[in-house]
Amino acid sequence: MLCMYRNASPLWLDMAALIRGLRAGRALRGLGGVAVQGTLSPQCSNVRRGFHRAALLRLASDSKSDTSVPPPSYREVHTAGESSSSSAQGESSEDAQPNTSFQDQSGEHGEDYETEEQLQARILTAALEFVSQHGWTVEAIAAGAETLGLSSASTGMFNNGAGDLVLHFVAQCNAQLAETLAEQNNQVQLGQAESKKTGEFLKDAVETRLRMLVPYIDTWPQAMSILLLPHNIPDSLKHLSTMVDDIWYYAGDRSTDVNWYTRRAALTGIYNTTELVMVQDSSPDFEETWAFLDNRIKDVVNMANTAKQVQATGEAVVQGLMGAAITLKNLTGMNQRR
Amino acid sequence: MQRAAKCALRLDISRAFCPSNVRNCRAVNRVNGSVSCRRYSVLPPPRDEEEKAMLDSMLRVDHAGEYGANRIYAGQMAVLGRTQTGPLIQHMWDQEKMHLERFNEILGEHRVRPTLLLPLWNIAGFALGACTALLGKEGAMACTVAVEESISEHYNSQIRTLMEADPERYTELLQLIKEFRDDEIEHHDTGLEHDAESVSLICWFASYEMYVLVFCCCCV
Repeated sequence: MLCMYRNASPLWLDMAALIRGLRAGRALRGLGGVAVQGTLSPQCSNVRRGFHRAALLRLASDSKSDTSVPPPSYREVHTAGESSSSSAQGESSEDAQPNTSFQDQSGEHGEDYETEEQLQARILTAALEFVSQHGWTVEAIAAGAETLGLSSASTGMFNNGAGDLVLHFVAQCNAQLAETLAEQNNQVQLGQAESKKTGEFLKDAVETRLRMLVPYIDTWPQAMSILLLPHNIPDSLKHLSTMVDDIWYYAGDRSTDVNWYTRRAALTGIYNTTELVMVQDSSPDFEETWAFLDNRIKDVVNMANTAKQVQATGEAVVQGLMGAAITLKNLTGMNQRR
Repeated sequence: MQRAAKCALRLDISRAFCPSNVRNCRAVNRVNGSVSCRRYSVLPPPRDEEEKAMLDSMLRVDHAGEYGANRIYAGQMAVLGRTQTGPLIQHMWDQEKMHLERFNEILGEHRVRPTLLLPLWNIAGFALGACTALLGKEGAMACTVAVEESISEHYNSQIRTLMEADPERYTELLQLIKEFRDDEIEHHDTGLEHDAESVSLICWFASYEMYVLVFCCCCV
């Protein structure tokens, strides 16, 4: 159940009045048989209408004050899936809030329980369709909430407003990318596909990820500026670093020295610059962007090869010098064991 | 001294994007996050972010410790390699290399970030090993004793933490750490056998460096 049902008995009438509004949402989730309708007593209908408005406002303010609103879906590497982790988070935040009398009345529990994080995720996903219309703003979230049959006041759940929407989208794209990469990896392990060279793999992974921005490319500069707001920077950096880590992991990187950092730093640079190029690219199907990406990856691979050659040369030179020194010592008789 | 020169030049920046190096990754089972594919796994699949962070931090510190110990022995060998204690130090160094290799595998498998201070420990460890070895065999042994003592204390505290948390869950990890701790204690005893007691300032300095390493690498 939504945490808004946590209010004690004086307000159960008000809360009960909102059920009608949520029925549409529940139907969408395929929930059946929630025995809500029959519990409302007929004589409350007038009272219900009167309290409806107040309840909405109460709902918004209660949700705002009580919920911790963690940013949605941090990367979960080994856990079973997003929903289990978010439900774990939801349960821990729900512990302080006992279930309402409403649920006790209806007797429904268990599978129908939707955590707040899941609800927020649903609203934000629905809001993405309105981004082209309203931009990355709270209006888009409100429009998304309305398509789910919720009041537009449920934007009060999102303390960060547009930032929540953008971060949700980024997390969603990263999760999709990780799935795609894992699937490709499985294919390679099963021998159904050829493994790619590193440069090509990186190029394909970055291209896959950037193509997810194509539907929102017109408003993406606004999203980027939202991600650069100081209070959003920690989260956006975290998403970026987990994405880059995922890409390198599936590219086969198992380094445990400073290479770990240099590789990820380089890929972050490539990704960010390519994203900037893409945002102002007007060529058909972003051809110029992919050409830019290709060149950057080639540059980096060349640089690595050059550095390797320099090191090998350096080592050879040192060997030569040591040999010369030992020869000199031998010639001058200084090398005898005392 | 050839080996010393080689060690000093072995900065890994050049291998930043060598494709062939990347292809050296191990077998089938290590690649995606799905647990079921792993043939062997020292860590249990993490329950939540907190546990993953704790295990990551522990492994990061252990890896950094082994890396530092490796470099210390390399420094000692650079100076004392051709003397009588050379074979002894070489033997201990080989065991440390095995430990480091094992930790490298675990870090790669479980996607644990290595510490950012590795280049620092590269230089500092080598310098510590070389300087103490310049004081002679006793100095080198004193350094070994101090370093091994603090490493084994650190492993013991990790074992305590894991045992307090959930011994059954971390069985393999506990086994691994216990095995490495026993090796380190053996090195400590070897150092004591070979006249380490005479140089106490070294002991203090070396163990101080290890404590600093442990604290820094937990976070960075």
